[in-house]
Amino acid sequence: MAFLNRAFEKKELRDPSAVRAVFSNTWLAPLWLVARVYLGYQWILAGSHKVWGDQRWIGVSGPDGLGLKSFWDRAIAIPAQGSPAIKYDWYRTFIKYMDDNGWYHWFSWVIACGEMTVGVLLIVGAFTGLAALAGATLNFNFMLAGSASTNPVLFMLAILILIGWKVSGWIGVDRWLLPALGTPWEPGRAFKGLAHEGGGGAARLTPRRGAA
Amino acid sequence: MTKLTAVVLGMAAWAAVAGLAVVIAFNMGNKNQVLMFLPILVAVFAAWGIGEAVTERVFNGHEEGM
Repeated sequence: MAFLNRAFEKKELRDPSAVRAVFSNTWLAPLWLVARVYLGYQWILAGSHKVWGDQRWIGVSGPDGLGLKSFWDRAIAIPAQGSPAIKYDWYRTFIKYMDDNGWYHWFSWVIACGEMTVGVLLIVGAFTGLAALAGATLNFNFMLAGSASTNPVLFMLAILILIGWKVSGWIGVDRWLLPALGTPWEPGRAFKGLAHEGGGGAARLTPRRGAA
Repeated sequence: MTKLTAVVLGMAAWAAVAGLAVVIAFNMGNKNQVLMFLPILVAVFAAWGIGEAVTERVFNGHEEGM
């Protein structure tokens, strides 16, 4: 029983100061800004191709989403020789279900507008962590569908921005948004009534000078 | 009223940054990664700097001003 108690013991392990300096301190905010703007621009470019580019998916004459349908058709195809693009059967079944039921009509809007939204939010630094999470989810799904392209690099960048969510939007709207809105576990100034008594709102999201 | 104006101006500045990024993507695409990158970075810094100055002046440096 003692080892079970030890296994489920409540003990907070602190990150080393170097990790906290990179992911929790605003001194590297300019570096996060560069990463954020690069990633955001890539998403805007990807979204713009689908919204108004040559291979647009939406707002076309005729049914929307035919570009997405051809992508799905290629992804779920099982070639006579060689390996299929999708490695996991459950994911192929999932994509096939959406393809067979014509979901590409509306799902193309979700992807195209989602990519544009993720790009804009990353560039202005608003809800940076959530935007990075949404971008990483898109990358992850493209990779599961067998499309490598720039997805692995963008995915890694999104994960790093996600880990540094507290400071990656510091030179951006999050500098005001996070302390005002706070988080679900620590409401900000805008939700004073919901804040824990004596908690002082999102105090931990308001940087202390000189803190490493 | 001053605080409301400051908040609206701040939101307009960030909307302008977003608009600039979309316009650059629309016109330049992937032609020159450096040229497209710099104006957006400068715009973000400018909007942030304006926000910092306004926060300091209008909200008396209160961190959670907005």
